[in-house]
Amino acid sequence: MRASTLSRSALAPKLVGAGSLIGFLVVVELLIRIGAINRFIVPPPSEIVGSFYRIVTQEHVFSRFVMTAWECFITGAMITIFGIAGGLLLHRFELLRRATETWVAALAAAPIVLAYPLFMVLFGRNALTIIMIGFVAALPPVILKTLEGIAGTRRVLINVGRSLNLTPMQQFWKIQLPAALPVIFTGVRLGLIFALINVVGVEFLINYGGLGQLINDLAERYDLAGTYAAICFVILVSVLFYMFLEKAERWLRPVD
Amino acid sequence: MAATGRLTHKAGASPIGAVTLLRIAIVVAMLIVWETLSRSGWLYRDVIPSLLTIAKALADLFTQRGFYFDLGVTAAEIAAALAIGGGFGLLAGLLLGANRFLSKAFESYLYYLGPTPKIIFFPVMIMWFGVGPESKVALGTLSCFFPAALSVAAGMRQIDKVLIRVSKSFRANTWQTVMKIYLPAMRHPIINGVRLGFGVALIGTLLAETKLSNKGIGFQIINAYSTFDMPRMYAMLVVLFVLAIGVNALIGRLGGLSSIRRV
Amino acid sequence: MPAEPILVVDDVVVGFDTAEGPLIAVDHVSFDVRPGEFLSVIGPSGCGKSTLFNVIGGLLAHNQGRVAVSGEQINGPHKSIGMVFQEESTFPWRTVIDNVAFPLELIGLPKPERIKRARHFIALVGLDGFENRYPGELSGGMRQRVSLARTLASEPKILLMDEPFAALDEQTRLLLGDKVLQIQQQLKQTTLLITHNITEAVQMSDRILVMTYRPGTVKRIVEIDLPRPRSSAIVSSDAFGRYVAAIWGDLREEASRGMRDEESHALQHHETPT
Repeated sequence: MRASTLSRSALAPKLVGAGSLIGFLVVVELLIRIGAINRFIVPPPSEIVGSFYRIVTQEHVFSRFVMTAWECFITGAMITIFGIAGGLLLHRFELLRRATETWVAALAAAPIVLAYPLFMVLFGRNALTIIMIGFVAALPPVILKTLEGIAGTRRVLINVGRSLNLTPMQQFWKIQLPAALPVIFTGVRLGLIFALINVVGVEFLINYGGLGQLINDLAERYDLAGTYAAICFVILVSVLFYMFLEKAERWLRPVD
Repeated sequence: MAATGRLTHKAGASPIGAVTLLRIAIVVAMLIVWETLSRSGWLYRDVIPSLLTIAKALADLFTQRGFYFDLGVTAAEIAAALAIGGGFGLLAGLLLGANRFLSKAFESYLYYLGPTPKIIFFPVMIMWFGVGPESKVALGTLSCFFPAALSVAAGMRQIDKVLIRVSKSFRANTWQTVMKIYLPAMRHPIINGVRLGFGVALIGTLLAETKLSNKGIGFQIINAYSTFDMPRMYAMLVVLFVLAIGVNALIGRLGGLSSIRRV
Repeated sequence: MPAEPILVVDDVVVGFDTAEGPLIAVDHVSFDVRPGEFLSVIGPSGCGKSTLFNVIGGLLAHNQGRVAVSGEQINGPHKSIGMVFQEESTFPWRTVIDNVAFPLELIGLPKPERIKRARHFIALVGLDGFENRYPGELSGGMRQRVSLARTLASEPKILLMDEPFAALDEQTRLLLGDKVLQIQQQLKQTTLLITHNITEAVQMSDRILVMTYRPGTVKRIVEIDLPRPRSSAIVSSDAFGRYVAAIWGDLREEASRGMRDEESHALQHHETPT
């Protein structure tokens, strides 16, 4: 009795949500078919779905995906290494932290990607530009969260260490860093998502790379259904990536 | 009066702090590195222009009428995007925050669709709205709808429930409850939502301008790129970034928050 | 001749549907409150007293029975009942005076009048001078006084309080209790206090209603025959001690039932993996 009442109340809204979405697509399909919406501006959803297969097979979606993934991976590795190192460095040198922390926060709020023409001049119209933009844009959150994690260790845990006469090094490696890991991972997760968004965005803008470039390509070829399909595909990849990162984070902090 | 102990000055808390000195030192060091690189001849001419050239380009910018025109165009596009996207986001957020069923049905869609690259929708926006400013506004609107809706919904839910009960116990009507309890209680999430919304609307609109436009700051930047007028491009980027960070801080200050936040 | 009761709680039953099945929180509770009286409702945690508070206050519907204020049945928060909640309930974005004037704002009183009345109640709770401070600048005890002043500003016939001092330390609690008593005696305010603190209840009340553990019913109603005006000094008298002991005797049984129930609950829930 208990299980069914709970799941009934949890299932209903999800069904309504999914149902509304499908209902909306059906309505759009009908409106296009009767001509109320111009099919040369919005292709029917059925056609979009239909072109998925074509896109996947003819446009080398898999190798494009690998390329985008590779760019994201390199960016991700760089921000993890430099971000955590940067955060630790700022924690270690209090004066440096006080001087530069607001700058890092400002950098996090700054629209780095808008400078992509500049990056193109510096690095060329290639993967390096994409990676560098992703790196600069996604680095600040990792630094800030690392700082937050280390600095935010609960006072009482530090006192436990002090009562056991731990050296500062021991204190750091055995108490502060492990306690900070969940927050640090949150920072890495944020950074990775920023990285993905910037990588795909820049690929689209400079017409180079993997999935972002695919969309640009299809758009310039006026392949309507293909463009819509490719956009949906990229959004799907992005959403799945985000869900995966969330699962990974929850795995890392089961207590919360 | 009882003798109270005077707290001694913390070391390093002198008027011109060590912090300020360090900041100046860092900035000066970076400027020196820049200038050295610029004059070294390692990089192709003007890829890293000398600071003087950039300063001159900045000065030139401010004296050109065209610059202010483009600035106006971009600002209008961003304002429109914020108004429309923020407005719809506010409504959606209020609905989702007020009604648990709706929230469970639809909020996760917004939550997962939020952190995705919106610029890739630009070809669709062009198809729907043409090549004029409307497509840029549309992209900006799409960008800022999500963070606006999500912050408002979250803000509504984190209101201390006892405050709602207080309002009920005094028999306040719906309008009074919204205006006197909900909105003031939500002022922080709303301000942050506006800040975040402004940030992403700015990015969305400008990126769209760089891709396909014939006016606006974004267009001018990509124009400078294609004519390899590097000092001009640097000048525009400086202005853009100063404005972006400045407005962000201003919104925060107006809302009574102190730090620049994006996340 | 005792006056007509100002509040009548008649055979009230309140039940909930929980994950473990239906639960009766309040089980056929009946009592009256006379005008000007100070009545405390005391019971162990889980006896349904907060549920009763919410029902009388009109924030929660009862399943059976009726609640009437001056003969009028309630259906929602009644204008003659003012509530003071247990949790922090001041509006952090309003100053003290704007907090206290809130109920007057709602009924549309013009500003000068609102300010005047709010000042009166701020002084009554002993917070004059703090009108323009924000709750964040005040201590917990002071904030509860602001909440009290706010409710008093609406001049309710019945003051309904749910453990308003629960979050405060013992000394503050005793002193605030003094203050509330003083105000109550001055205004002849009918007061219904929900509490788990026996000393507090005996110190302040004319009568005490002792509740059983869940499902909560009235175990006993005790007349407190201590002289008025009372102050916290009365706590050390013999008669006081006898009342406290008697009530504790009643409560002890209920409280240990409650503890045993909770322990078995925790054991059960620990077995299911998260």
